Amino acid sequence: MGVEKLADRLGENVLTTTLGKVVGWGRANSVWPAQFGLACCAIEGLMHTAGPGFDIGRFGSEAMRASPRQSDLMIVTGRVSQKMAPVLRQIYDQMPEPKWVISMGACASTGGVFNNYAILQGVDKIVPVDVYIPGCPPRPEDVLNALMILQEKIKAQGIKPRL
Amino acid sequence: MPDTMPEQTLAPGVTITRERELGGDILTVNFGPQHPSTHGVLRLIVDLDGEVIRRVKPVIGYLHTGIEKQMEALRWQQGVVVTDRHDYLSPPINNLAYALAVEQLMGVEAPARAQGLRVIMSELTRIASHLIWLGSTGIELGAMGIFMYCLRDREKILDLNEEISGFRMHTSYIRPGGVTADATPRFLEMLDAFVKEMPGNIQEYENLLTRNPIWIERTQAIGYLSAEDAIRLGATGPMIRGSGVPWDLRKDRPYCGFETYDWEVAVEDAGDCYARYLVRIKEMRESVKILRQALDRLPGGPVNVDDRKILPPPREELDTSMEALIHHFKLFTEGYSPPAGDVYVAVESGRGENGCYIVSDGTHKPRRVKFRAASFVNLQAVEHMALGHMVADMIAIIGTADTVLGDADR
Amino acid sequence: MTALKLTQGVLAHGVIAGAEWVSVPRERIRETLTELKSQGYESYVFMTCVDHLATPTVEKPPERLELVYQLRNMKTHRELRVRVFVPEDDPRAPSAHDIYAPANWDERETWDMFGIRFEGHPDLSRILMPDDWVGHPLRRDFPVGGEPVDFSEDHEVWRTAPPEA
Repeated sequence: MGVEKLADRLGENVLTTTLGKVVGWGRANSVWPAQFGLACCAIEGLMHTAGPGFDIGRFGSEAMRASPRQSDLMIVTGRVSQKMAPVLRQIYDQMPEPKWVISMGACASTGGVFNNYAILQGVDKIVPVDVYIPGCPPRPEDVLNALMILQEKIKAQGIKPRL
Repeated sequence: MPDTMPEQTLAPGVTITRERELGGDILTVNFGPQHPSTHGVLRLIVDLDGEVIRRVKPVIGYLHTGIEKQMEALRWQQGVVVTDRHDYLSPPINNLAYALAVEQLMGVEAPARAQGLRVIMSELTRIASHLIWLGSTGIELGAMGIFMYCLRDREKILDLNEEISGFRMHTSYIRPGGVTADATPRFLEMLDAFVKEMPGNIQEYENLLTRNPIWIERTQAIGYLSAEDAIRLGATGPMIRGSGVPWDLRKDRPYCGFETYDWEVAVEDAGDCYARYLVRIKEMRESVKILRQALDRLPGGPVNVDDRKILPPPREELDTSMEALIHHFKLFTEGYSPPAGDVYVAVESGRGENGCYIVSDGTHKPRRVKFRAASFVNLQAVEHMALGHMVADMIAIIGTADTVLGDADR
Repeated sequence: MTALKLTQGVLAHGVIAGAEWVSVPRERIRETLTELKSQGYESYVFMTCVDHLATPTVEKPPERLELVYQLRNMKTHRELRVRVFVPEDDPRAPSAHDIYAPANWDERETWDMFGIRFEGHPDLSRILMPDDWVGHPLRRDFPVGGEPVDFSEDHEVWRTAPPEA
């Protein structure tokens, strides 16, 4: 095979891109959520989304890790009580960078119907949240939609450090 | 430490040595609140001697939602929404306990069709709750496949919920005085199809687990609870029926006409985790039986009591009747006020006795609402059941106790 | 009142919404529960507390705090409610954890939520709230908390205790 021929083939076999784009692409399609269920939303957001009806595996996120050290994404599924808040923050701190947070449901986002002494009025008071999902509980489709929004965000972020 | 250890009866044929096996110290292990096998945010402090459990102390409250306080701040009819969310695996059954309590205090009774629909919803919920239990306990004990089968069928129940109430999980379907809406013809068709196929599906789960050697190994003779201990510790639901006590509130203190259906209480005598599994499987079959009968003889008529003081008038009356408009306005600004007094009503949920104790002081908001949570009481029995077992067996014991932390912490 | 043959110490009894109840003095809780247990009420359903602070519409109860024990006879299926009034300035009651085992956690919860001390309880610590929490949330003079919601009817009273408290 001559060098000229090889050069012709290059266009078919080599893709030029930026490092940021390829890293973002890789990260976005292998977001591993922490297997961390809190309340009602855990049934819809983790179990049914991973179940046969919705299959989060289509988006590369079926690998739910029991250890925060192996996960990229924390889905805060449900209300966070005052007693759970320090625990949740510790789990977040244990996750390696880069990491993302989806606040699932009304309770995690704002406290929801539980406007009282026991519930943290929004998980964004203790961890930075990337995507909020409304609903009580949101449907699994909403969770998949949030995941796709997050994927766009991850792709755009590339290798740039988190702001 | 070992001299004061409480004696525990074990299943026949199982001996667990009670002496300290290793010469070393007792190791205290923290377990949770974030742990994939604790069914939520349960935390356990376990004293281990080698791998043998010497003491278990459950620490709860990580999902304390202040539901009882919240109910005091809401009007009577608004409280229904909050009851959905304490035991989040059986929302209509929670609604039912609250609705029956308010109805009993006010001296009203829901019409026959509403009673039939309540039975249908509570049995569907029981199946859905047992399916989540079966799927998640299966995963915890190493059987991944069962999870997919269970969720496949639970999805159908959620579709049924959505068809009848408009929402998948927290339906708020049953409310004081009746139910939210009548069943649509499509709901009845879907339910019919579901009832037809469900016995075959339950057989599928049984094919996967009942004779599965790993499943048997991990559950049989684990977490033994004798009948006396079950009564003494106040266990209810599959916990007490798995120990051979045929106690089911649907039979023993019937509500919504459960006494008129032809079904049996699921009981197993062995008292171990495997027996509790068999009880739940049997209960699903019985629930399907009740669903079939409830569907076949669902009476016609209204689904709400004809009492404008409790429930709003029909939408079309608002355009023509001034009185209806006033009732509507009064109901949604002030609400209704049951007479002063207190009442306790218990219903059977997937986990056991789900009770609602309400105190009214005659105003439009409750003075006190207390939920008697089955998980809260059953969890205390875990302390007793886990003694002397290996640490890995604790997963099976917590799993088959089927605690929902939202229920325990409220 | 056929089911009930208590020897002494019944302050009042009656039937409300189809359920029987008796009221006993605080000093006699343990004796009453032991006696009822031997009479067949072997199943303990729950125990809780009701705060009667400032009841505007009903007759004032003898004391502010009321303990309610719900017992059940599993053979006759009868239920009985035992009421005990506990004064506000001396919130103590004897523990019943050795009579009915499930009372253990219920008493911890009542301590946590209402601040009633159960004497003789082996481990009377907070169960639902964090250990460093101040106050007893289910008392009526404890604010509901949370955040104020604009344009809601309870906006004004949401954060503060009712004026009569």
